[in-house]
Amino acid sequence: MAETRGNDEQGRKQKSGPKRILTAEATVSIVTVLLVVVIWYHFTDSIIPKLFFPSPMDTVLVVGRMEGVLVEYFIATMYRVVVGMLAGAILGVLCGIAMSWNKWINSILDPLIEALRPIPAVALIPFFILWFGIGDTGKLILTALGGFTVMVVTTLEAIKHVSPIYIMAARTLGANRLTIYRTVILPAITPPLIGGMRVTVALSFALVIASEFMGAQSGLGYMIMLARRTLQTDAILVGVIIIGITSWIVDRMVRVIGNYLTRWAPRSE
Amino acid sequence: MSAYIQIQNVQKSFEGTARQIEALRDVNLEVQAGEFMCLVGPSGCGKSTLVFIVAGLVSASAGAVHVGGVQVLDPDPDRTVVFQGDAVFPWMTVAQNIGYGLQQTNTPKKEQEGIVTHLIELVGLSGFRDAYPKELSGGMKKRVDLARAYATNPTVLLMDEPFGALDAITKEKMQEDLMRLSVTENDRQRTVLFVTHDLEEAIFLADRVAVMTSRPGTIQVVLDIPFARPRDASIKLSNEFQELRGYIRELLVDDDANET
Repeated sequence: MAETRGNDEQGRKQKSGPKRILTAEATVSIVTVLLVVVIWYHFTDSIIPKLFFPSPMDTVLVVGRMEGVLVEYFIATMYRVVVGMLAGAILGVLCGIAMSWNKWINSILDPLIEALRPIPAVALIPFFILWFGIGDTGKLILTALGGFTVMVVTTLEAIKHVSPIYIMAARTLGANRLTIYRTVILPAITPPLIGGMRVTVALSFALVIASEFMGAQSGLGYMIMLARRTLQTDAILVGVIIIGITSWIVDRMVRVIGNYLTRWAPRSE
Repeated sequence: MSAYIQIQNVQKSFEGTARQIEALRDVNLEVQAGEFMCLVGPSGCGKSTLVFIVAGLVSASAGAVHVGGVQVLDPDPDRTVVFQGDAVFPWMTVAQNIGYGLQQTNTPKKEQEGIVTHLIELVGLSGFRDAYPKELSGGMKKRVDLARAYATNPTVLLMDEPFGALDAITKEKMQEDLMRLSVTENDRQRTVLFVTHDLEEAIFLADRVAVMTSRPGTIQVVLDIPFARPRDASIKLSNEFQELRGYIRELLVDDDANET
């Protein structure tokens, strides 16, 4: 017992030293990642043929070969994701607020949203290609539609759950309806909206890539589709990895902004 | 002179799931200007509902409430409320919370600053001006709530079991603070309607105590509390205080017995 405690103390001393940058948890995470790369390196090019899964080296090399096109495709995809997602999310939040503000707006929009909500947006891609062609317009609208549905439902649910005591307090202090929406409801629904926004980010990437699969002239989804036809697994993997990393970064950005906006909220960590 | 708060034949029924629930029946009560009135009664007797009706948050099914001769139809920053639950906005700092009502009443910025600073000092939160409520204890949050209700300088202060959720020691401290505030800030012009089920709290704070019956709630009796203000917590130990407490307790127990 005594020995363990002694070790523990030593460990703590080391941790508080100025040179210690990584926590034990972070070290374990990094080791895990390295281990995956080592296993990847070991099995590809030997047991697993290149046709099924490329080796780390092939994957890095293909980036060098493609660089110009890769940047162009990356920008095309990101433009669709970011613009479509933001347009849909902003419209969704505004619509949700308008529906809770006025029962007539609610009666008009509710059946339309309820009709749209259960349909997976990907199922509409053929229609969108038919109507808007294979350019940006259809992809932007489709992505916006996906984000809109998520955010309008999140907003409505969040407003429903704002504690009535805050609204009563604001009323007794002289706030009118508009002020209550601005100073009570909007801040109160921010935490659930951040959650909805993270779902929207993931959905937007999925929708843009799917719509690029079905018909496009640029974008990472288009690149993956081309590579599939010529069995270039290394290019497919590069596309997948870039999508994964950027999706993670965008999610991270939403979390950082969200944490700042909800810095007042008690957190259990 | 007529009373400042006049509650006349107020009745309130709610649509329950199965049947109509009559919460208040024929409530008549007059509170004089500057008076501290406590409402006590068994739980579920509608005392909170009555306070919400005076606040203008809930409308009466029948009857009317007049404050200063004007019928109450809507909430007004001249009648602020301290609620039982935690109503302090968690997304605003202490100063923003206290200044909220002043902002709604378009008080000049300079004046707002002065009032907020004064109240923060008064409730002993000087170091917490820019703190968010998550950094405060339950008692400190209640002080913010209290200061916020005082900020608009209302003529009527409505309190719905404001200290009900606090521990015994914090509660006693808050009562003494409220007593102090009612001396320094009230100049006996502010009319207070204070709901509680704690008889000691009621007798300690009130000029008069209105005892309600169980549902449907109505005013059973209104008692004068003879202690001079400002009061010290030591009066709670006096015979007179304890006799009053026993008397009110009996009224409530008898009412309960009649019910069943």
